[in-house]
Amino acid sequence: MALLATVALSACYGHVEALKPTDIRVEDGEFVAVLGPNGAGKSTLMRAIMGLVPNRGAVHFHDEALPRRDPAALASRGVILVPEGRGIFGPMSVAENLELGAYLVGRHTAEFESRLARVLALFPRLRERLSQTAGSMSGGEQQMLAVGRALMANPRILLLDEPSLGLAPRVTAEILETLGELNRQGLSVILVEQKAPLALRLANRAYLLSLGKIVAEINPREVQSYDEIARYYFAT
Amino acid sequence: MNEISYIIQVLVSGLGLGCIYGLIGIGYCVIYNASGIVNFAQGAFVMLGGMITQLLLWNHGVPLLLSGAIAVACVVAIAIVIERIVVRPLWDRNASTFVMILATLAVQIVLEGATLLIAGDQPKTLPVFTDLPPLRIGTVAISYQLIWIAAASAVIIFGLAAFFGHTRVGKAMRACAINREAAALQGIRVSTMLMMAFALSAALGAIAGILVTPTQVTAFNVGLPFAIAGFIAAIVGGFGRPFGAFLGGLALGVTQAGAVVVFGSGFKSGAALAVLLIFLFVRPQGILGTAK
Repeated sequence: MALLATVALSACYGHVEALKPTDIRVEDGEFVAVLGPNGAGKSTLMRAIMGLVPNRGAVHFHDEALPRRDPAALASRGVILVPEGRGIFGPMSVAENLELGAYLVGRHTAEFESRLARVLALFPRLRERLSQTAGSMSGGEQQMLAVGRALMANPRILLLDEPSLGLAPRVTAEILETLGELNRQGLSVILVEQKAPLALRLANRAYLLSLGKIVAEINPREVQSYDEIARYYFAT
Repeated sequence: MNEISYIIQVLVSGLGLGCIYGLIGIGYCVIYNASGIVNFAQGAFVMLGGMITQLLLWNHGVPLLLSGAIAVACVVAIAIVIERIVVRPLWDRNASTFVMILATLAVQIVLEGATLLIAGDQPKTLPVFTDLPPLRIGTVAISYQLIWIAAASAVIIFGLAAFFGHTRVGKAMRACAINREAAALQGIRVSTMLMMAFALSAALGAIAGILVTPTQVTAFNVGLPFAIAGFIAAIVGGFGRPFGAFLGGLALGVTQAGAVVVFGSGFKSGAALAVLLIFLFVRPQGILGTAK
C-alpha cells in the first residue's frame, strides 16, 4: 500500500491543461524526486496534490481519498508542502513562523517544545534568529525556516517545490543533506527539482515530467549519465 | 472662550469622532486582511449596535451595560449569518472585489430596510454613560462620553495588539493577511478565519455604534455615512493596517471638525472626501502602508 498515490490527477489553469492525468506513488519512507524542465508541470503537480489549483482525479493517502480543494485538511493528515518561493510569513518573526508550522498542536504543549527542539537542532542558525523578522533573513536562512516550519507540523510526507531556487550551491547542499538525513530517519519526501543530479543523489526513485505528463520513471542507481535525462529536458 | 481654546475644543471633539471612525476602519482591515474582501456592510454593524442597545434599554428596561453586551452579541451573530449566506458562497466562487463590494453594500441596504420596518424611521439616542458635567481643563471642556470613547478605543487597540501578537488565532489571522495560501498549508482554515474576522469586525462596529450614539442620534440610515468614514479612515491609514486605520480615523475626525469650524457643517462630508482624494493622489499607500 502506497503512502501517497495520485490517480489520473490533472490540473488546469483556465482552459490550459498544465498537468495531464498523472499517476505517481510514494511508499512509506521513500524519497521520490520529480524532475523536469521549466514549465513541465512539476509545481502544478505539487499544487494539485495539495488542492491549491482546480484539479481532477484523486489523491490517496494510506488508501484514503483526500479532499481535493482543502489544503488545511491535508496538513492535518501530515501531508505538508514547502511551496516554491518558500511561502514564509515575512513580516512575522522566525519564532512565530515556526509556531504557525505547529498550528494544529498549539504552542503551550510538550509536543510543541519537542518539535521546536528538533528543528532548532537540525537548523541551529534559526535559533540565533528566533526573534528576527523572517523576511529580513538571507535566502538560505529563509529556506531553512520554510523546511523547519514544515517539520514543526510533524509531517508524514514532506513535499518540497524547488528548495534550491535562488540559493548558493553550498546552502543548497546543506539543506538537501538535512532532507537526506530526515529521510534516513523515516520521513517520506517528494522533491521537485530542476537540478537533476542534486535530486538523484538523494532519491530512491524519480519521475521525469515533460509538457505536463510523466515521460519516464527513473531508478537513480541505474542512471549511467545525465545525458539521457538531459535529452528529455531539451526534447520539449 | 478665546480662539486657541476654541480650536483645541474643536480638535478634542474631532478626536472623539475620529476614534469611532478608527474603530470602523479597523473593522474593514480585519476582514480585508483575512480574505481580501472590502465589507461595505460595516456601517450597518455600527447602526445595529446603537439601535439594538437603544431598543433593549428603552423598550425592555435592560440595564445599559447589559443592553450593550447583548447588542454586540446580536451584531456578531448577524455578521456570522451574513458571512455564511452571502459572503462565503461568493468567496468560494472567487468573486471579484467589485462583486463583493456590491454584495456587502446590498447587505447594508437590506439591514437598513429591516431596521426601518422593525424600529421605525424616528431617530433614537442613548443616555450618556456618565451623567456628570464636562471635565474642564483650562477653558476646554471634555465630556465624559468623550472620555468613554477614548478609553474604550485605547482598551480595544491594546486588546487587538495582544490578540494579534500573542494568541494562536490572532497569529493565524495575521498569517492569512500575509499569505493565505501558505497559511492554509499550515493547517489554518482560512474560511474559519474569515468568519472570525467578520465576527471581530462586527463587534468593533457595534461597540463604535454604542459609544457614539449618546453624542448624536442613531437611526436606520446612519450606517452608510459611518461606512464611508471608516472606509476613508482605512485608506488614509494604509488599507489592511489596523492601527493605521485608527490613525486615519483620528486624522479624519480632526479634519472634519476643523472643516466644520472654518467652512460650516455643510462641509463635513466634503472634508472627508477631500482627505480621501488628497491621500489617493499624494500618498495612495496611506500613513502606515508601504509603496507598491
